[in-house]
Amino acid sequence: MSDYIYSYRESGSSKNITFIVTKDCQLACKYCYLVGKNAKERLPWEVAKKAIDYVLNHEQDFQEESVVWDFIGGEPFLEIDLIDKICDYIKTEMFRLNHHWFNSFRFNFSTNGINYDSQKVQEFIKKNRQHLSIGITIDGTREKHDLNRIWKTKDGFSPKPEEEKGSYNDVVRNIPLWQEQFPGTGTKVTISSADIKYIKESVLHLYSLGIHEVNINVVFEDVWEEGDDKKFEEQLIQLADAIIDGEFYTDYTCSFFSENLGKPLDKKLQNQNWCGAGRMLAVDAAGNFYPCTRFAQYSLRDKKAWIIGNVHDGIDKNKLRPFLTLDRCTQSKQECIDCEVAEGCAWCQGENYDAAESPTVFERSTAICKMHKARVRANNYYWNKLYRKLELEGIAREEADKHVKKSNFQEPC
Amino acid sequence: MLQYLMILLDDTSTSYCHYNNKKSESKLISIEDLKAGIFFGMTENLMIQYVYPSHALPAEYEDVLESIDHSKIMPADNPNVDEADVVVFNDWKQMEGFSYSEGVSYVLRINKSDLFEQKVLIADTIEKTTKLNVVITDVESFCDEDFDTYKGVLQLWSEKLEKLYAEGKSPLLNLLTDRMQLEEMNNCGAGESNITLAPDGKFYVCPAFYQTNSDTIISPAFKAGSLEEGVHVKSSQLYKLDHAPLCRKCDAFHCRRCVWLNRKTTLEVNTPSHEQCVVAHLERNPSRQLLENIRKHGQFLTQQEIKEIDYLDPFDVKEEW
Repeated sequence: MSDYIYSYRESGSSKNITFIVTKDCQLACKYCYLVGKNAKERLPWEVAKKAIDYVLNHEQDFQEESVVWDFIGGEPFLEIDLIDKICDYIKTEMFRLNHHWFNSFRFNFSTNGINYDSQKVQEFIKKNRQHLSIGITIDGTREKHDLNRIWKTKDGFSPKPEEEKGSYNDVVRNIPLWQEQFPGTGTKVTISSADIKYIKESVLHLYSLGIHEVNINVVFEDVWEEGDDKKFEEQLIQLADAIIDGEFYTDYTCSFFSENLGKPLDKKLQNQNWCGAGRMLAVDAAGNFYPCTRFAQYSLRDKKAWIIGNVHDGIDKNKLRPFLTLDRCTQSKQECIDCEVAEGCAWCQGENYDAAESPTVFERSTAICKMHKARVRANNYYWNKLYRKLELEGIAREEADKHVKKSNFQEPC
Repeated sequence: MLQYLMILLDDTSTSYCHYNNKKSESKLISIEDLKAGIFFGMTENLMIQYVYPSHALPAEYEDVLESIDHSKIMPADNPNVDEADVVVFNDWKQMEGFSYSEGVSYVLRINKSDLFEQKVLIADTIEKTTKLNVVITDVESFCDEDFDTYKGVLQLWSEKLEKLYAEGKSPLLNLLTDRMQLEEMNNCGAGESNITLAPDGKFYVCPAFYQTNSDTIISPAFKAGSLEEGVHVKSSQLYKLDHAPLCRKCDAFHCRRCVWLNRKTTLEVNTPSHEQCVVAHLERNPSRQLLENIRKHGQFLTQQEIKEIDYLDPFDVKEEW
């Protein structure tokens, strides 16, 4: 087959290549979408090396200007020795091959933060500081965080309710060190049904910990109960009041509030897919390639893994064609296409696949519909209130940008 | 909208399409299910097409089969093949010495290697038949070298067709003459205009989803209901042209858009593989040339226009759409 997929070097573009280094984690978070976590499947070095060799030796297929090498789990820092070896190999190989990604790369981690201050992790940070980004997940107040982010049992199972132990203390102690080493880095907060009522105090709590950017989203899975949208809207309006009245907007952001939200979308001009699945590449312990980690078996409840190749045979480009031809309208129901507040309504291609009636990525899940509409109403309130306040303070709308810190966050998948 | 009901009379009923039937043991549809299927077809106003195995059916089936207007798709080695409306050759050797009939359509299922070797035999058969449909059974394995070879084969057949048309004959070869006559997509229609009733009494999107057995491809999702429940095609929108991003803009109107082959190669029923697209365009482009060449001999399909294009895979130009 000809090299028809990535035929030109895309200016400013970036490739995400994800190593699923382990399917193990110290925690058993209640909202975790990873249904197949286990302590057995660790990425063997030989598989990681083959994956790197494949990617770097097929430069013509990976023409993006830069690369982000992602490491996820489970909890990636459980495999810090392996990660260190992988990163060393990537660097030396990119140099040896005079690869266009040399000096245009980053290693990226999303961690639960528990091992962050360990000697090995700290040594790794010191060694790779110039090409490193690390996000620690902390969900907010102790109460909110410990509601979901609990330790698993010694046997590796989810604990009984009476034995649940939260991880807040084990994470929050590392926040100052993390913020010192990566100043300005945001945290990612996930909201499910049970923790809607903690949203306002959690965001403010994270601000008080010195985290200036709170990236927050509701889970895409169909977990929402009747009335959740109302509670969600109320929380967001309280949060809007707190941010505006406390003048946090000058130096802090919360991704729930965005000016580019809640407008109709043009069927032709705004028909692009939201999700980057298929433009990313993930590899697991078995050496299989996936269009994103959400298509690996441990992420899927009801569907088979969507394997697009492996480290031995390479990528089967035919299996990427659906992702690269997927657009917003083709996968959306008519009510979504006609929706008057469609802008900013996100989806996860993996969740769409998992929830679809048949094995397809062309069927958009609408589980968050009411939650999005609630967010839009609260968002409208936020901006109307903020601009009026600034106006009364003598700041014209066109000048407002100088006084308001804005989130650049894209809804996560 | 459903228009056709394909009834597989036996597990070993012939394939008439890209897939190879993996079922080797005979299992007839029960008389009760056959009657119920016919009744369903009558009440839903569907055209019925029976798909036969190589062996004769028990006598008690005959009256039931004849109780409704229908078409018969039979393999060439069925003892009653002279009654067929569509005859399927599962091996090119079956064509040698075969007695062709006027008004019957013939399907040759053939792999690429045999196709390239038997191009002359096939060219000669065009002359003997009113309509010959050539179905390549391993399209997904085509490589760049095969594309080049196939181009040459199509050129040979095109020259043969031009000669026959110049002589006043009008034989049909699906790969080259279908596109000349089409002004919109005319694909297999599985899951949209036709549905299959299998010997297990269940409906399927197409026979391939019953008669093949790959774990990767086959999913309960491609069962489409039962005689008791009626037809329910899951994610039915995917079988419609407007839900196929590559195909809805494409003008290789004769392409089968085989949903089973799509599922096999890209994992999506609405997305064709690179190989399927290129093969369809390798056929489309000489169809255009053939139309022009035939017109040199006289008036022919005067309203038809096939544009010149510079790509073989619509995927390569998707950004321009």
